[in-house]
Amino acid sequence: MSAPLLEIEDLVVHFPTADGPVHAVDGLSMTVERGQTLGVVGESGSGKSVTFLAAMRLLDRAQPTISGRIALAGVDLLGLSHAEMRRVRGARIGMIFQDPLSALHPLLRVGDQIAETLRAHGKVGRRDAAAQAVAALRRVGIPNAEERARQYPHELSGGMRQRVMIAMALVLEPELLIADEPTTALDTTVEAQILDIIDDLRVRQGIGVVLVSHSLATVADVADTVVVMYAGRAVERGPCDAVFAHPLHPYTWGLLDSIPALDAERARLVPIPGAPPSQVDPPPGCRFAPRCAYRIDACTARLPELTERGGGHADACVLAVPGRTALRHRPGAGRTEAAA
Amino acid sequence: MSVPDQGPPLVEVRGLTKRFPITRGVIIARARGAVHAVEDVSFAVARGQTLGIVGESGSGKTTTARMIVRLIDPTSGSIYLDGADITHVTGADLRALRRRVQIVFQDPSGSLNPRQTAGQIVGAPLRVHRVPGDRRERVAELLAQVGLSPEHASRYPHEFSGGQRQRIGIARALALAPELMILDEPVSALDVSVQAHVLNLLTDLQQQHGITYILISHDLGVIRHLSDRVAVMYLGRIVELADAGAIAAPAHPYTAALVSAAPVPPGGPTRRRILLAGDPPSPITPPSGCAFHPRCPKARLISGDPQRVPERCRTERPDLATLPDGRSVACWFPLAAGDDLVGAALAMAGPASGGSSPARLAKPAPQP
Repeated sequence: MSAPLLEIEDLVVHFPTADGPVHAVDGLSMTVERGQTLGVVGESGSGKSVTFLAAMRLLDRAQPTISGRIALAGVDLLGLSHAEMRRVRGARIGMIFQDPLSALHPLLRVGDQIAETLRAHGKVGRRDAAAQAVAALRRVGIPNAEERARQYPHELSGGMRQRVMIAMALVLEPELLIADEPTTALDTTVEAQILDIIDDLRVRQGIGVVLVSHSLATVADVADTVVVMYAGRAVERGPCDAVFAHPLHPYTWGLLDSIPALDAERARLVPIPGAPPSQVDPPPGCRFAPRCAYRIDACTARLPELTERGGGHADACVLAVPGRTALRHRPGAGRTEAAA
Repeated sequence: MSVPDQGPPLVEVRGLTKRFPITRGVIIARARGAVHAVEDVSFAVARGQTLGIVGESGSGKTTTARMIVRLIDPTSGSIYLDGADITHVTGADLRALRRRVQIVFQDPSGSLNPRQTAGQIVGAPLRVHRVPGDRRERVAELLAQVGLSPEHASRYPHEFSGGQRQRIGIARALALAPELMILDEPVSALDVSVQAHVLNLLTDLQQQHGITYILISHDLGVIRHLSDRVAVMYLGRIVELADAGAIAAPAHPYTAALVSAAPVPPGGPTRRRILLAGDPPSPITPPSGCAFHPRCPKARLISGDPQRVPERCRTERPDLATLPDGRSVACWFPLAAGDDLVGAALAMAGPASGGSSPARLAKPAPQP
């Protein structure tokens, strides 16, 4: 039991295009422990979804170039045959997506869809499967589960549909749940319910959870560990409290300063200048350097690796930590000071 | 920016109501009921100010906005612009109104014609309203105002990023120098860092041109950032109307649930969530009395029983009433200090919710 539940090592995913390969993920490493929630945040195009689609081996048809290692409890998923991978999907890794309506079959009753999952993995008979499907719906807090199981997806609200997705993802009792933007399409009060259900199942069943989200606040609420991604790479990783209370990377600062807060006095937001770099032809050195207010010459000279800064908190930045954090909110103040 | 209301409001709505009939039958359509989208909504916005309208899907916020722009006609109620009743204006008067009131939509790619260049899109209002002057020059000026460059005029929407597309939508709305701009979820399709740029742009434009905004959003942080006053809608009605600064300490139990569920700004103090049971009820058959009573934790605190609601909440609908501190709230039992809504909501949900659940309200739930 020494191997972590999910271990991603130096993952590279490049998609071939007419203009050259798109560097969707470019040297990414992270681990998920049992019974813990890993939050992965990043903006559109940062590679967060591609990473976990690669882990589920759902990218094969796009024929990307993949290298590195994605190991579930020590077994490299990238080396499995299609048949072996089918036994991993659902049974050992459950996945839920942003839009439950497009992930559910519109012409099948939701109970039958969950039962089908059980039957496909050949564990149970028809009647047993139906009973287990109802039990699964009950576990995710759906009232009148027997009745709901006989309904079609369009008859359910968005929150109910996402509960059905969670029930389906967990019915085979996987060790790992990957939730890719599970609450983005939902209302605020319903989002709170769904996060609560996922967290409760994590505690009760001891599963590992990966929560992929563009919303720092959503991740901050439930994650144990956080990875911040930018342009296909991790720029910061650490315990949730540390990352949000003492963020280290200038990109993380930029994200945090961009959020309008509810309680704070109204101040002008400090957005990140510029736009994410081209993924076909990424800039030399640090990918964030062209937009970084603290940039020095060394930033464009080499690509900084994720470096441990104590307490499990790591970041990928050329600048020394003390000099850098002293400069926060004084962009451009010390192109030379920070180099120390 | 938080200037107290002065002078007559630029825009005012009184008793605004919209019901969409549900019909059955193809040849002879018979009314079978109605969706109560907006019910008896009243508010006023002073010139140069921002009213934020927050609510979940189906709360009627977008329908309210569309009635003000006259994209849909209200079932009853009135809309006033600068003191003049515009509820039923038609023809030339309606065209004149369109110059004064503009709207920016949520989805920047869905609201821009993919076959027109940015310049054609931004210039369209000038063409339609036959605005005299050099159109190309004016378009370049508008693009510059929203942070784009004149060369962008010859590009098509697909050549722009999401944030840039939303800037085009804003430039188009600005073209006729409107007095009132309706912003319907202007940043919810954008990434956080892009969102901040657009919010700053909206702030600048308001300061430069004195435009009045009605901002629709489900994101309380965005609402708080841009608004002077905030209206909270639930199932077609305004349940609370308060200064933006006061919204984080609400008086209505539903506002409290929204505030508690709003993701906490990272690094700040954590908030305990009030987990509302169930989904918002159907606007076709809204609950009797207060529409929030089936999910209301405060009502359970009053009755002392997680399964019971005071008679009054079930039978009598509370009207929006002004409290001593200037806010208005539609609730028989506005929040008081020390109300444990978190515990009450947990008790309502019962063991099925997954949360630890005390049997009675007297015993609050342990900290999660």
